[in-house]
Amino acid sequence: MAKADDAQSALVALARHADLILDAHLNNANRIRETRENQSILESLERHRLVWRYRDDDDDSGPNLNKELVHLLAHITRAQRRRWASERIHELWSDLQELFEDYREAKRLAAYTDKDRLESSIAEHVNMLIEDIRSANEAYSSYLDGGYMYVTDLDLRIRENEKAIDRAGKLNALFDSFNINELAEQAGTDTFLRRLLLKHLPATLEEGRKNLASSISRLSVMLVRMREDQRLSRMVGGFEQQFVNNPGYVPSIADINLDNCPARINLTSEFRVASHPDVYEAADESDMVALAEVARTERDVKISDPLEAYRAEGIITNDLLSADEVDEDDPTDSLAEELILHVIDGGLGDKEIRALSVLASSGLLIDEEGWLYALEGTINALHPDDRRCLHLSYCYHPHTTYRDNIHIHDMILRQHDVSV
Amino acid sequence: MAANPLFEQTIMALLAGDVICEYQHDSLHNYLSIPGHQQQVSSFLAQMNRVLRTTSDQSAWLCAFESTKPKEVKDSIRKRFDEVANNLEPLVAFLRLVMTSEGNQRPVTPGDRISEGALLEQISNAPSLESRLRSLTESKYFRTQKADSALQLRTVIKKLEDEGFLKRLGSSGSQFIATGRWTWLYDLMGFIQAHEGIADSGSYDDEQMRML
Repeated sequence: MAKADDAQSALVALARHADLILDAHLNNANRIRETRENQSILESLERHRLVWRYRDDDDDSGPNLNKELVHLLAHITRAQRRRWASERIHELWSDLQELFEDYREAKRLAAYTDKDRLESSIAEHVNMLIEDIRSANEAYSSYLDGGYMYVTDLDLRIRENEKAIDRAGKLNALFDSFNINELAEQAGTDTFLRRLLLKHLPATLEEGRKNLASSISRLSVMLVRMREDQRLSRMVGGFEQQFVNNPGYVPSIADINLDNCPARINLTSEFRVASHPDVYEAADESDMVALAEVARTERDVKISDPLEAYRAEGIITNDLLSADEVDEDDPTDSLAEELILHVIDGGLGDKEIRALSVLASSGLLIDEEGWLYALEGTINALHPDDRRCLHLSYCYHPHTTYRDNIHIHDMILRQHDVSV
Repeated sequence: MAANPLFEQTIMALLAGDVICEYQHDSLHNYLSIPGHQQQVSSFLAQMNRVLRTTSDQSAWLCAFESTKPKEVKDSIRKRFDEVANNLEPLVAFLRLVMTSEGNQRPVTPGDRISEGALLEQISNAPSLESRLRSLTESKYFRTQKADSALQLRTVIKKLEDEGFLKRLGSSGSQFIATGRWTWLYDLMGFIQAHEGIADSGSYDDEQMRML
């Protein structure tokens, strides 16, 4: 009697908390959310062993529904889940169930004409069902193929991903809603129904399940990638804010004890490896002669690499129009700019440099006058802040006939406010 | 003992401070993907107080000091850090320029293709992007006196190519691919962020992973 009372009391508990249990089954992966309001309900369900939890469970997702209860819920909510996953497939399946009944009745009454008609109708409905399941699966797969690249905003893309997960859940529910026992029950011993319901339909469901598993795996990879993009984007944004709010900010590791250097800042500098030809090895003599010949030739031909020549000519391929544009990048101007930036940036330290000595070591084949004009022109075009960093003096001598005129024969550059 | 060109090139690249990834040094990256080769390279580097390391995403290789106790090693680490720290602002500004011009929020990551032509077209059509590019070329890292956007962009791209952040694709001269050096930079930025307490915007949502 006590056992019967217990069972009755368990059924009453189920009825009393039906909404919460159903919500856990349909929307929360068979877990009941553990809140202060649910505490007494959980205690009651635990008393009837309708829920379980790990003893050392530090997961806050809540206790699980009992396995047997989950089976019962799966059975009684199958039609509802099928409808939630796909209204059309639910309708087709409902129609089929009616057709099964009519078919069995026609067989019982030996109404062969009606039986033939119903067989044809059932076959058609099952084919439609199979096609709908396949197309739902294919549509989902192609939805994922693009990786929602059309959505440029990262947060929106993550929301799009959430929709995809939701759709995956629906597809999963759809496949689960076709239980093999239920199909076997519907088919009974009838050969025609068994072929349709236990061969063709399960094969489609199995294929769909496999595709869905693969889609979910892709979804996970995409989600990981999106989260990483989001992390980097926020980090870059954080640094931008830092630079805006603290002009001139430069990170420092002055306070770090490098005896225990963090791995991410343990970086080696360039280790220069210089090698020299072995001039003492007689066996290499012929090779050395050949190398020396080539070196002599290369000195005369300044640009021998076709790619370098291509770059030096300033040819950019416009990849949008597939047309070549020739840009006139004057090497004299480039040298002048390089020299000025070198001086402004403190590359010389407290030293000074003569313009003509730079020209001589550059290998450029232009006259001295042209070089000095180009250099002066570049200096005059400097931004005032940069110009102030540069000290320029001229080397000159007066004209032999017109003493008021001077002849500039060199220029001396150094960083401003640096004593020589 | 016969010479091993791939071993030699790998060691030279690592000692030169390169980040070996599949985009910058395809063959060396393949070479290092074999555990036996990693062992050989590590053994060689160990004799020079160096170790073989990977970036946080395990996609690229680089060289680090094994012991950081010697003074010259500490000086070297500080110098290398300062080189990056001093140029961080323009690098971040470049990332924002690309993100804005491409209209998405994804920073450049290894394997991303950057078309100089497409980038220039976007920049030329937006005065605000031109202004960003101009201020970028006023920084010491990307400094140029050129006034034309095309030449400014070329200076920026050339600098990034020289520094190993981009690799030129083919011989057309205007298609580039981002290398593993970006991951290395992000790793370093992650460290700076934690060390200097720089907040990033927003929080992360683990809900989707849980749903999967």
